[in-house]
Amino acid sequence: MPRLRSLAVLIAVTLVAVALATPATSQTPQVSQTPKAGGVLNIMLREDLAQGFAIHETATISVVWPAMPCLNNLVLFDPLRKTESVDTIIGELAEKWSWQDNYRNLVFFLRKGVKWHDGRPFTSKDVKFTFDMLREAPDAPAKLRINPRKDWYANVEAIETPDPYTAVFRLKKPQPSLLMLLASGYTPVYAAHVPPASYRTGCVGTGPFRVKEWRKGEYVEYVKNPDYFVQGRPYLDGLKYFVIVERGTRQAALQAGKLDVSFPGETSKTAAEQLKKAVPQLVITPFSANVSDNIIMNIKKPPFDNVKVRLAVSHAIDRRALVRAVHQDGAVVGASLAPKPWGFWGLGEKDLAALPGYGKPADEKAKAKKLMAEVGFSPEKPLRVEMVTRAIAIYVDMASFVINELKQVGIEATLKQIETAQWHAMATRGDYQIGANLTGIGPDDPDANFLENYGCGSPRNYSQYCSEEIMKLIDRQSQELDVKKRLAMVAAIQKKLEADAARPILAWRLDYFTVWPHVKNLVPHQSIYNFGRMQEAWSAK
Amino acid sequence: MKTYIAQRLAIAVLTLLGMSLVIFTLLRLAPGDIVDILFSTAGYVSPSEKQGIMQELGMDRPYWVQYLDWLRQIVTFDLGKSYRYDLPAWQIIRPLLPVTIELAALSMVVAVFLGVPTGVISAVRQDSALDYVLRVISLAGLSMPAFWLGMVIILTLVTWLRWIPPLTYVPPTEDFKLHAVQFALPALAVGYRSSALIMRITRSSLLEVLREDYIRTAWAKGQSGRIVIWRHALKNAMLPVVTVIGIEFAFLIGGLVVTETVFNLPGVARFLVQAILWRDYPIVQNLVMFIAIVVILSNLLVDMLYGVLDPRVRYGG
Repeated sequence: MPRLRSLAVLIAVTLVAVALATPATSQTPQVSQTPKAGGVLNIMLREDLAQGFAIHETATISVVWPAMPCLNNLVLFDPLRKTESVDTIIGELAEKWSWQDNYRNLVFFLRKGVKWHDGRPFTSKDVKFTFDMLREAPDAPAKLRINPRKDWYANVEAIETPDPYTAVFRLKKPQPSLLMLLASGYTPVYAAHVPPASYRTGCVGTGPFRVKEWRKGEYVEYVKNPDYFVQGRPYLDGLKYFVIVERGTRQAALQAGKLDVSFPGETSKTAAEQLKKAVPQLVITPFSANVSDNIIMNIKKPPFDNVKVRLAVSHAIDRRALVRAVHQDGAVVGASLAPKPWGFWGLGEKDLAALPGYGKPADEKAKAKKLMAEVGFSPEKPLRVEMVTRAIAIYVDMASFVINELKQVGIEATLKQIETAQWHAMATRGDYQIGANLTGIGPDDPDANFLENYGCGSPRNYSQYCSEEIMKLIDRQSQELDVKKRLAMVAAIQKKLEADAARPILAWRLDYFTVWPHVKNLVPHQSIYNFGRMQEAWSAK
Repeated sequence: MKTYIAQRLAIAVLTLLGMSLVIFTLLRLAPGDIVDILFSTAGYVSPSEKQGIMQELGMDRPYWVQYLDWLRQIVTFDLGKSYRYDLPAWQIIRPLLPVTIELAALSMVVAVFLGVPTGVISAVRQDSALDYVLRVISLAGLSMPAFWLGMVIILTLVTWLRWIPPLTYVPPTEDFKLHAVQFALPALAVGYRSSALIMRITRSSLLEVLREDYIRTAWAKGQSGRIVIWRHALKNAMLPVVTVIGIEFAFLIGGLVVTETVFNLPGVARFLVQAILWRDYPIVQNLVMFIAIVVILSNLLVDMLYGVLDPRVRYGG
């Protein structure tokens, strides 16, 4: 009897298992999470490549995003991890690396057997060529036409290549975060045997994909690099980046499934909500675009040479209201570095609350009015200024909000829209009084941000703010090896910058990166500039 | 006739010369240049580096030297190099031409096939219910910008069918059916608007002709309505219609900016706007000259057609 009972139980269990299993297999098959080789991803581009594949000559995501699959760095932020920190850096052309002499020498041990797309071998000569060119070493064999990130390498004294597979970065002083800069999408290695100018029209890289065709104004097509040095990568057979200038058409193409992947920095919260409503299966991931809304004030000219006026501006702008009104909550408040969890170094709510512009709106406006009164202005007798901004909707929306805020404290600003062709020239020359600006930062790292945007003499320091004290602090944090100590130093710098109203930060924009569900292993990072390699991406279609 | 054409061509050369001067000057009057934009993509400006690039592109030379150099390039069929792409301008312009010409031509075919018959019906049935309906439809066409209609078409397709036309140009040799669909939709959007204009001109012109004595005579002689309308009246009423068609076609070559943008077609107009934004002088100058040549040639063709449609037209020697 017990044996019969056991048999009956066994049969019953088997039947239940079969019954449970049958519907599952008859429905949509589950998507395997084991990467699948093959397929092509169709990817969105909102404009043609501004300078071809010449990442070193530009700062725009419109180049970095479509050019990254062709190239490799020495090191890169792990494509599969959202967070960007020293701990998430993996080797690319460098198999391993080592800090020596108390962070004064950074030694890279390069991979052997890596080939450029034209078949030539990759060696340490290419590394030296690239970084000597970037830092504009006196004996550099080539010069870039435009070199926007020269300041990143100011601390590099020399690059030595004792053998074809070792490259040593000798630094003037310790700079642990140099590795962060080298891991950015902005830092590929160029081939020494082709002129740097050739990257404007084509691409000889070592990357996972080779350029098949760049049809100007239409698309960039890549095919898998069969000689790629990482075994089994890339998974995809190819990539195709479509240039679609009209925003409505871009969204329609994504919605219709003609595109698999959106453009980083393209999708606002409102647009994401509309897309999700139209196509519920789309996968939308909010992440920090590492782009801030900020106010630039010309510190060299009246009235903004007066710190009271600058502080009045900072107090007057209700950041949280701006996030609600201009970004429909698709942004977060923060000081000069993106706050957690979107970034690593930003100030927390508690610290922010003590800074100009983050208190109760009525109190902040009262403080702003008081400061304006001290310099002789009031809403009845306003200070009249001209506010410049780029003639692009996202800039104008922000500027219009700010103008309205300033009006309430006695600053009457008229808006002047500047065409892109003139914007940076105007800002660098300091031909303005006050401006509503957007600033994008490559890696989420204090060195990259502070040196570029607050460093004395930096061409991107549009406010021309220059403080000896701040420069010393920037230098000290850059050399600090202990992360906790560095965090504290970076926080102190951020507070000081806001207290000086050097370049009041209003908000950090979030992007709602959108892909179709069959797109796997394409993980948005803490910055739009660092996750475009596509080496790990695969398609479950 | 030959002398007339020769005269017109001589005038055309002078017109193009004048145009070249205007284009060249206006472009340089616009604030900013390619070098500013290149720096803009890098987020800063360095005066010394800027000077180097100006020199590299030959933009540091006096304006008159640059102008004469451009004229020399046109005469020798060497259109120079695109500042933005660092490639021969002709290599960039050449693929754009068939796209725009085909779209403009198809749009005109749609416009004529819609506009002329409805104009005739509207005139023949003046003040009838059908006339009112057709006039409302034509007025709607005139009121609706082609790009708006284009966007409505795209959104309707994506909402209802989850489909939109191809995102890149599909040559007819590759896939004729897809190519036809790719061009049919924008041609309908643009053609509808142009057809409204043609319909109204056809209607008013035909109404005028229908009141002429010779038409009354034809009716009195007992000729059939078809012969009176299509053979006697319409032929004479076509002169202003042909003028409008010529002007519309020439306008479309450079005026399809938004339609090409909405349908993502790599044509002249869309590229021209991008080139203007980038201050890519060699591309802009040569594309505008191309449009000017099309305008001049289509005007010449229209003038030639006058003689075919109306034998009384004589070409001065």
